[in-house]
Amino acid sequence: MAEGKSRRPEVAGPEPAGTQSASTDKPAISPVSRRPRVGVFVCHCGINIAGVVRVPELVERAKTMPGVVVARDYQYCCSDPGQQIIRDSIKADKLDRVVVACCSPTLHEATFRKAGEEAGLNYYRTEIANIREQCAWVTKDRDEATDKAEDITRLAIARATHDESLEPVGVTVNKRALVVGAGIAGIQAALDIANAGYEVVLVEKQPSIGGHMAQLSETFPTLDCSQCILTPRTVETGRHSRIKLHTYSEVAEVSGYIGNFKVRIRQKPRYVDFDACTGCGLCMEKCPARVEADFERGMGKRRAIYRLLPQAVPNRPVIDAEACIYLQKGKCGVCAKVCPTQAIRYDDTEKFVEEEVGAIVLATGYELLDHEKMSAYGIGRVPDVIDGLAFERLLSASGPTQGEVKRPSDGRVPKKVVFVQCAGSRDREHGMPYCSKICCMYTAKQAILYKHRVHDGEATICYIDVRTPGKGFEEFYQRATDEGTTYLRGKVSKIFRQGDKVMVWASDTLAGRKVELEADLVVLASAVVASPDGVELAKRLKMQLDGHGFLTEAHPKLRPVETLTGGFFLAGCGQGPKDIPDTVAQASAAAAKVLAMFGQDKIFHAPTTAWVDEDICVGCGNCELTCAYGAVKVDLQRGVAAVNVALCEGCGACSVACPSGAMSHRNFSKKSIYEMTEEAVR
Amino acid sequence: MASYAYYPGCTLYTKARELDLSARKALAVLGAELEEMPAWVCCGAIYNTADDDFAGRIGATRNIVRASALGDTLVTLCAACYNVLKRAKARIDDPANAVERERVLNFIDEPYEREVRVVHYLDVLRRDIGWDAVKAKVAKPLAGLKLASYYGCLMVRPAAVLDFDDPEDPQVMDELVRALGAEPVRFDFKTECCGGYLVVNRKDVARESSARVLENARAWGADAVITTCPLCQYNLDRLRDRDGLPVLYFTQLLGLALGLEPDELGFDNCAVDPRPMLAEKGLL
Ligand SMILES: Cc1cc2nc3c(=O)[nH]c(=O)nc-3n(C[C@H](O)[C@H](O)[C@H](O)COP(=O)(O)OP(=O)(O)OC[C@H]3O[C@@H](n4cnc5c(N)ncnc54)[C@H](O)[C@@H]3O)c2cc1C
Repeated sequence: MAEGKSRRPEVAGPEPAGTQSASTDKPAISPVSRRPRVGVFVCHCGINIAGVVRVPELVERAKTMPGVVVARDYQYCCSDPGQQIIRDSIKADKLDRVVVACCSPTLHEATFRKAGEEAGLNYYRTEIANIREQCAWVTKDRDEATDKAEDITRLAIARATHDESLEPVGVTVNKRALVVGAGIAGIQAALDIANAGYEVVLVEKQPSIGGHMAQLSETFPTLDCSQCILTPRTVETGRHSRIKLHTYSEVAEVSGYIGNFKVRIRQKPRYVDFDACTGCGLCMEKCPARVEADFERGMGKRRAIYRLLPQAVPNRPVIDAEACIYLQKGKCGVCAKVCPTQAIRYDDTEKFVEEEVGAIVLATGYELLDHEKMSAYGIGRVPDVIDGLAFERLLSASGPTQGEVKRPSDGRVPKKVVFVQCAGSRDREHGMPYCSKICCMYTAKQAILYKHRVHDGEATICYIDVRTPGKGFEEFYQRATDEGTTYLRGKVSKIFRQGDKVMVWASDTLAGRKVELEADLVVLASAVVASPDGVELAKRLKMQLDGHGFLTEAHPKLRPVETLTGGFFLAGCGQGPKDIPDTVAQASAAAAKVLAMFGQDKIFHAPTTAWVDEDICVGCGNCELTCAYGAVKVDLQRGVAAVNVALCEGCGACSVACPSGAMSHRNFSKKSIYEMTEEAVR
Repeated sequence: MASYAYYPGCTLYTKARELDLSARKALAVLGAELEEMPAWVCCGAIYNTADDDFAGRIGATRNIVRASALGDTLVTLCAACYNVLKRAKARIDDPANAVERERVLNFIDEPYEREVRVVHYLDVLRRDIGWDAVKAKVAKPLAGLKLASYYGCLMVRPAAVLDFDDPEDPQVMDELVRALGAEPVRFDFKTECCGGYLVVNRKDVARESSARVLENARAWGADAVITTCPLCQYNLDRLRDRDGLPVLYFTQLLGLALGLEPDELGFDNCAVDPRPMLAEKGLL
């Protein structure tokens, strides 16, 4: 929720009845019912502005501009006395609009608008002329800067002259949240929201919750067992009276707007009646079909009826239809025969569930880079080249080898393991240009754990840099070297099979030589990428993604868990690679933002939105195609576009796309743009 | 019948005669013709990278100028000729070298009729003829044959200039192998060094390099290695004892698949005779 929108809860705005009506009111046409009375306040900003722009001269010039009844300057307009000057002037000079020539509106627009409001001026009648970032900071010559500042101020006055009094749009909030993805991020966010007293709908595509954390062995930098710290959370989530869990499900559709979303959830056929099933596991013991388990990442097999792990929440199996002999060939039926509670449903189909929520947290997590992208590293072709998650499964006490490190090709215990960092990370040519952030740490961890399992084993780590910014991280890396891991600085160029060995071509850039390492097993720290299913969902929801598919936050520093679309929040690796502590912190932050929203009965949305002049609109639909927020729709019955003001972010794209001029923007009308342009080219 | 200006280069007249013969004959079956360009000269054998030594690139450029009399495309087969000619052409095409281009063309002082594109024979198969058309002409599918396509360095690097294929995992010969009904072997040494000219003064180094290529191809189950580079063929085929994997020019197997007589394809020029292997696979 943007701060600007949740402002002033005491002022109840017009209720958007179905939210369309507000958009069709024509702004009152009252241009010269009264001559505008504009006050101009020029800020020195210390020497930031006054050191370049001749402020007194600018004030004198402003006094002569049309509509201006008073022009003044002050050292720091944003200070209390500075604001007081503006407030006093509004009253004394009967101002009906204010222009503050100062810094960027992203910094103090709200400050000055609020000051004006306190003196009885409508919030949306104060405009900013940015003469700092767009003038003083980028201009050297004082004459030039003063002229430019004059132009900018004149334009802002022209704009202010057309400003209407507007009231923020109030929207009621449905105090239920949807969380998509039940990795540790989604789990944490769901628990925080639920424990604060609100209902949560948690959707997970896998048969059980936990995400990648459920695959890990022990976790850096403390080496506590991942399952042991995760299961209390999964159990609490599964039992929570306010968390409604939809596993083996995906979000099919989201409609509505902040505070009032409708969500359609698609539940994949499970072929098991979860209410009848007791989770006894007999079916899984008897099922004759065995296939590679995705969860084990090629290190182990599962049955056609399966659960991901013994501690699964919910502890119910599902049937993999492609592997199931009965569903493929109509013969077998062993699971149905042995089930003591007749819970098997071979005729199960996909189902749809509707939920209504007010806020949505996206926590769709990550995957590792596709093997195909790293053909020089042999992964996918050479059985004893595996990725980090596969090695976690080998190390895991509940994994396919019960924690014994055995290599996939022949089950032998590898005596020489080479770990390759930056396999696809920091690699503009083959993989991803960014650093995956967690690999230095988990590779050190895996080397330590390997040596704990195989005492005479040799662990070598090929790295290009070791990055350990985190509490206890550098010490942990030191521990890896102290315990005998060899660090070799240089990028690996090629990995291939030779006999029953795996050869690694690398370089030792410290010694300045090429090296060839012989290994029994090679573990790649493959680049962390945004989960493809998360990307697909985000695209459907029109979320902003960066060039690599990670969710973009509303502001990289100041609004790190909000998205640019109202009501959508983000947490976890779907936003960028990160470790568990960062993931959990971010998830709690997202939950806090949701709770801040739920703490209000209504939220307020800036009324500076698009609006349609229905007399001109021909319903061509260009605006609908252009809108990134799904806020404009053509009303097919009436043949005109309608703006949902609760969704509209006021970006202006639709007004630009509109061929007839019917679409406009409140307090940034075509007329005001023309007049500003005229002033600019005068 | 489509006709292409063709630059054979010296090796295809001597040591790699079978590459030249099999390529011409195979292309004829596919409905195209290689027309040897008039008065071709040495390509220079290695591309001269010294910036100011453009005299070293004059031979290659002269070939391009002369080829312009025949058409806008110049086809080569030898990986080294291809590398040198294509890079020489890119050099004079670069707007940054406009002055050099003028000096070189003035020095050559022969009519440069039109811009000439330097392409490899494999480009003709891939782009002009197309794999489907090749497949349609296959008379004897090479079923059961596993082939490791070895590209070496000259075909693919420098990647930005040659723009021929993925410099680390090239595919064009593998695509051809598939079109001929054989099975491409995905091995790790497609573009590793064969030893190159080190065969002249450091035979031991070249021997080690080429042996590893063969070893890896064999480990992945190849029945033979194919190449388009006479130097690669030489190093792989001759720097070893007389057994092991046959090393052939891709054109020889192309010809075989297209139904040419085995006797026309120069199999007897290989140090390791591929015929017993081919016979065993029922292809002879
Ligand atoms: C090899 C390796 C070792 C690691 N070791 C450590 C360690 O020791 N210590 C540490 O702190 N961190 C470690 N990490 C990092 C850790 O795995 C992550 O920080 C953490 O798992 C991120 O959690 P998440 O919830 O953001 O993502 P995920 O765990 O990926 O969870 C996302 C969830 O969303 C679901 N999902 C995705 N798309 C959809 C959709 N469209 N609809 C519904 N559901 C969807 C997924 O199925 C998944 O359950 C390691 C990572 C790797 C790769």
